[in-house]
Amino acid sequence: MDLSLNEHQRMLAQSVRSFMERRVPRSKIAVLQRSELGYEPETWKTIAELGWVGLLIPEQYGGGGASLTDAAVVYEEFGRGPLPGPFFSSGVLSALILLEAGTEEQRRYALPAISRGEQIFSVAITEPARSWGPQGIALTAERHGDRFRLNGVKLFVSEAVAATHLIVAVRSGPEVNATSLLLIDKNTKGVSARLLPGFIGWQAEVSFDNVEIPVERLLAARENEGWAALTHAMERALPILCAYQVGSSQAIFEMSVEYSRARVQFGVPIGRFQRVQDHIIRLVNHLDAARWTTWEAIWKLDTGRPAAASVHLAKAVTAEAHIEACNAAHEVHAGIGSSLEYGLVPHTQLSRTLFNYLGDPKWHKRQMTIAMNW
Amino acid sequence: MDFEVTYTEEQQRFRAEVRAWFEANVPPGITREPASTAESHENYQMRRELGRKLGAKGWLFPTGPKQYGGGGLDVDHAIILEEEADRFDLSLPPFYDSGATMGAPTIAVWGTEEQKETFLKPIYRGDVRVWQLLSEPSAGSDLAGVKMRAIRQGDEYVLNGQKIFIGSANGTDWMWTLAVTNPDGERHQNLSWFMVDANLPGITVQPMELLGSGGGGGEHGHKNTIFFEDVRVPAICLVGGENNGWKVASTHLELEHGGGGHVGRNRLWEGLLSYCQKNYRDGQPLTSHQDVRDLLADIYIRGEVGRLFGLRNFWLTYARQPKSYEGPQASLYHKYAGLWMTTAILEAVGPAALTTDSRWGSDEGFLEGQQRNGIVAVHPGGTADIQKVEMARRIGIGRTIRQAAGKVA
Repeated sequence: MDLSLNEHQRMLAQSVRSFMERRVPRSKIAVLQRSELGYEPETWKTIAELGWVGLLIPEQYGGGGASLTDAAVVYEEFGRGPLPGPFFSSGVLSALILLEAGTEEQRRYALPAISRGEQIFSVAITEPARSWGPQGIALTAERHGDRFRLNGVKLFVSEAVAATHLIVAVRSGPEVNATSLLLIDKNTKGVSARLLPGFIGWQAEVSFDNVEIPVERLLAARENEGWAALTHAMERALPILCAYQVGSSQAIFEMSVEYSRARVQFGVPIGRFQRVQDHIIRLVNHLDAARWTTWEAIWKLDTGRPAAASVHLAKAVTAEAHIEACNAAHEVHAGIGSSLEYGLVPHTQLSRTLFNYLGDPKWHKRQMTIAMNW
Repeated sequence: MDFEVTYTEEQQRFRAEVRAWFEANVPPGITREPASTAESHENYQMRRELGRKLGAKGWLFPTGPKQYGGGGLDVDHAIILEEEADRFDLSLPPFYDSGATMGAPTIAVWGTEEQKETFLKPIYRGDVRVWQLLSEPSAGSDLAGVKMRAIRQGDEYVLNGQKIFIGSANGTDWMWTLAVTNPDGERHQNLSWFMVDANLPGITVQPMELLGSGGGGGEHGHKNTIFFEDVRVPAICLVGGENNGWKVASTHLELEHGGGGHVGRNRLWEGLLSYCQKNYRDGQPLTSHQDVRDLLADIYIRGEVGRLFGLRNFWLTYARQPKSYEGPQASLYHKYAGLWMTTAILEAVGPAALTTDSRWGSDEGFLEGQQRNGIVAVHPGGTADIQKVEMARRIGIGRTIRQAAGKVA
């Protein structure tokens, strides 16, 4: 048993952290919050060159071939910002889906470009039916000769505005799991992405208006088995998302402790008040619950153990913990916490946006009970 | 990272040896819940006998130093022993002995050579059971405010006072306590730590009627009030130096506050799931109702988080990593999770969770026990609020970081 990071992982964490402090400080993140893309192309390019976008992509496809543990180390540091941008959507989720469902040719086409940061992929699953399961997928791809035709809407598609390509889940038959995945160039006529306004981070409505794509764009290794492919890819991707949220929760924990020491009211640092202490204790308890459920799931995956139940558990715990941690941090900070310049709000918005992303906690808890055969 | 303890061939041979030994030596029925005081006493004797057999092999306190009769074993071997005991639903020691599990490391850190010889050997052999005596009627959370006096007279200290919420059923051989040795001294510098023979004249043990006692006369829920009236204790029983007791106590308070960590099964969960699979509502097993499944998922998750906190603390302790707030955090989490679970289980299972009735309640009333103990467990070993105070200090909320109290041997 050893619950520490190894030397290589500690160095990796350190280099990501110092990069973040130099290139994407709190002040920069506050500015990025108001941008439509959510990232700066120049920073994106540098991070891709450093190999942090294609970390999980195998070396034969131009990636880093890293373990999930290594990737989680990087994403935990990204989360401290929190660094916005299509890192997870493209470099983790899309890459893992392509590895799962893409043909060799499709992998060779997409993965090296994702790794270099030249193409940005995003995944469109959810529809207006608002279901997290396969039953919610109604969008059909009608076959017309050597082309599919799509008409319909996908919702809450992360980073769809920044994306150059979309992986779209479509219904392929009447059985509930019968779905296929299509790889769609976002420049295709009839595809449009509209950023959803409000207290939500870079999610979009994507419309398909008589979109025609060649049949070769079907991710053919798992034709008609798209949901199974998504499930398998998500089992590996979700803990990386959790690590990102753990990093975010860690950052606001540190921010709150600092503030409890610096802020003076009634002549003493506010952290001397047990009411204030209670908020920070609640925060750190949620943080650590998220941290250790996440890392145990990652360890199971990296060592080839059955991990489905652990992953669902970690996702549910982390989504709830992130929200609770932010709520507690707002109580510590009071008024200044809601200032858009201060640096807490990006974490809070993220906690809300990711709460439902790729399945809400209740759905994941239910998947957990199914995985455990209760 | 590695969340699992892995075993060498030698360790696996050790496991086989331990398993064979347990199979040959654990008496049948030892874990059956006693139904009366007489049965409780009989069961206790059975457990003590097993304890002595374990002690003879050095397996009662596997990591205790060998020169005093401990096992002298490393952590991996200790875990094997705990896991094998756990297969029989037993812990090590196999009876309520927290005075020894907390007291022995304290003596190992603070005791003189003579004290280690005198106290550690009988503890490690399993010849004595030990209770810890901390709370008093007017000093609970404010432990440093204890009033029990220990005034030196020649080669003895004379103890007078009252302790409360102590021990278990079936009595004890030894007890240790904190008492005021310098009535004029400053707070935290006026206390001393004593190991006391429970049979000394002037000690009276009076059982308390408490919510956690249950109906069966079980060991754990049973607590006592203890009166000291001119109890004369030999001076060798003062461990760690006169008026240094607060520092000495910080060693075991760290352990009591969850700092030592824990590896083990979640027996309540296993029992609850099996209960919900076997019992029906509206003609269907409880586990096939979505509302029950949702509650069970949340109950399971809290158990898992608690397990992971315990595992983390276990690793921190034995990998000798620096600790901050983690001990009181694990303690706090278990307390609140247990309290929260009382309502969640009541909701999932219904009123059957409240009765020990053999026809309508759970097996041996294990769910009814949780309804009581989930409430009671919020307070011993430092209340939930005290765990929060400890966490806040160690995190350094509103102040600079203070080092965690006491090193855990």
